[in-house]
Amino acid sequence: MTLVTGLMVGGIYALIALGWVLIYKCSGVLNLAMGELTLIGAYISLTFYSLGLPLLLALACSLIIGLVLGILTERIFLDRLIGKPVLTVIMMTVGLSFFFRGMVEFVWGTDTRVFTPPVFPLQPIKLGFLVIGQVYLWSFLAAILLLLIFVAFFKYTRWGLAMQATADDEMAALSLGISARFVYSAAWSIAFMAAGVAGTLLGNINGLNISVGYLGLLVLPAVVLGGLNSVPGAIVGGILIGILQNFSGTYLDRYFPGGVREIVPFVFMTIFLLFKPHGLWGWERIERV
Amino acid sequence: MSYLPCGVYHERYSQDHAWWQTNFVRLKMIVLGLVVYVVMPLWADAYYLSVANMVGYTVLGALGVQLLIGFCGQVTLGHAAFLAVGAYTSTLLILQVPWPAFLLDAGLAYPISILAAALVAGVWSLLFGLPSARVKGFYLILTTMAAQFITVDFVITQYVSQIGGRGQAFSLPPGTIKIGPWVIDNERNVYLLMIILVTLTTVGLANLLRSRVGRAWIAIRDNDIAAETMGINIVKYKLLAFFTAGFIGGIAGAFWISNLAAISPEHFPWSWSLWLVGVILIGGVGSLYGTFFGSLFMVVIMELLTFAVMSLGGAYPELLMRLNFVKESAFGLAICGFLLFEPNGLAYRWWQIKNYFNLWPFSY
Repeated sequence: MTLVTGLMVGGIYALIALGWVLIYKCSGVLNLAMGELTLIGAYISLTFYSLGLPLLLALACSLIIGLVLGILTERIFLDRLIGKPVLTVIMMTVGLSFFFRGMVEFVWGTDTRVFTPPVFPLQPIKLGFLVIGQVYLWSFLAAILLLLIFVAFFKYTRWGLAMQATADDEMAALSLGISARFVYSAAWSIAFMAAGVAGTLLGNINGLNISVGYLGLLVLPAVVLGGLNSVPGAIVGGILIGILQNFSGTYLDRYFPGGVREIVPFVFMTIFLLFKPHGLWGWERIERV
Repeated sequence: MSYLPCGVYHERYSQDHAWWQTNFVRLKMIVLGLVVYVVMPLWADAYYLSVANMVGYTVLGALGVQLLIGFCGQVTLGHAAFLAVGAYTSTLLILQVPWPAFLLDAGLAYPISILAAALVAGVWSLLFGLPSARVKGFYLILTTMAAQFITVDFVITQYVSQIGGRGQAFSLPPGTIKIGPWVIDNERNVYLLMIILVTLTTVGLANLLRSRVGRAWIAIRDNDIAAETMGINIVKYKLLAFFTAGFIGGIAGAFWISNLAAISPEHFPWSWSLWLVGVILIGGVGSLYGTFFGSLFMVVIMELLTFAVMSLGGAYPELLMRLNFVKESAFGLAICGFLLFEPNGLAYRWWQIKNYFNLWPFSY
């Protein structure tokens, strides 16, 4: 039971982790504004949903707005940083995260909002002897679906290959006629959209407030565990972290009362990195002077 | 290096090594010293002093970040954790330890606790610096973030706060924070303590940075593999950098309890770590001046913003309620703007102005 619940929560983590890996894979940038992207997507679809649109339509609207926002963000803030040191770009995402969070709080306030009427029926589904909340099941399925789409995207399409080439070596990619601007815009739009889906699902579990954004941070260990530039790694890492959390919540809570669940992933990640500094399937770059 | 003004030539090595090389600089520093040590405490009222204290606290916190990011190249996003460790160590030492009466009468409890806080924070920082021996770049950023969450959100919130059964916040009774006979109980005294601590740490760090240790840090920042081939023990020096940064952070935290009515984990959130990194980015990475410029700039801008929103508050009461969110957004935009338009920070602008006037009016 613990295992299955962990698996399902892990599915949602995997979804957010996917957005993270995506931006890293395309542009070599760790996007620390991911939690805020999740929030924005979730709030937009919540707004449309409260206007009376069906969930799928609201989600579609949030995807379209996410697409536009992604392109705008890239054009205004990140376009000029192409070719700059990585720390600069990371700090840019930190600046963006402050900006976005302030904006979200300004527009939507800090009170918890819920999807009314509830999207998913509250009674859990029974699969044989297992009892699973419907939200979790759907999120898990969505994560698996998106995973398949993204893996296919990176493997078979022209754009996906262009993105991988850009992440590997920006200069070489530019000289081969790949437009870095296009790749980055695409990456940011996709990240916005993936985060939107994840945020909407998360908002359906416990309602939506600013702390959902911090949940995005909780996913970081998942990303690292899988290796920063591996799509399957993100999924496996996410699920692993979900399971780990649930087990530690069940078994460790007795010995360390309090928020063990939230911390265990970070502890695990720190120790894990000591032994495998590139995660499970991250690229190991050979460094030269 | 900046240019020397026209007509100044060095004849001895000691002149070359001097901190203040010309009479103009000496005059400038003396005036600065007079302003911060004499004019400010005598003239400024409580509001200005509280702003100055905020600047000083930000400087103390950001110096450690500057050391790690600007001089050793180890990006850290969890420095608030070490401020928290310093603050809590100092508070707990003052509140919980049964001090012998003669130490209390001599007012030594607080100074001793500052030192202890610095050491504990340094060791704690060293612990989280250990992964830096193996990991770099993004992965290191993540382990420093882990330091923040593990320390503040778990260890301090869940366990340290329970010591003594006081609940979530520790409050220090008035009069417990004193150095010798000097009781630090108002803004002016806090200001004096702050200015002394800032001077001491800055002088110490500046001298450390031009010693063998500092050179090694800078070599690691510029290229760690090259540094290793030159015979620098990079693990040792990286850990030393983490220890020193934590040490300064501990001092900052232990200082700040003199200004706080009650110490609780909410004073050291993750956003404060990010704020410190933002401060050095705006001030200029790899420059001690930059730390000061950045802190001054950010704190003053935030105060001005508060004023602006207050004055608009009459017309738009909504704005007043959401002041914090406006501040947060403004801070984010400030970082983005600086990265786009002034990527080298305020220190670089300062350097340019200085050079311009050093050669003025014969710049060629």
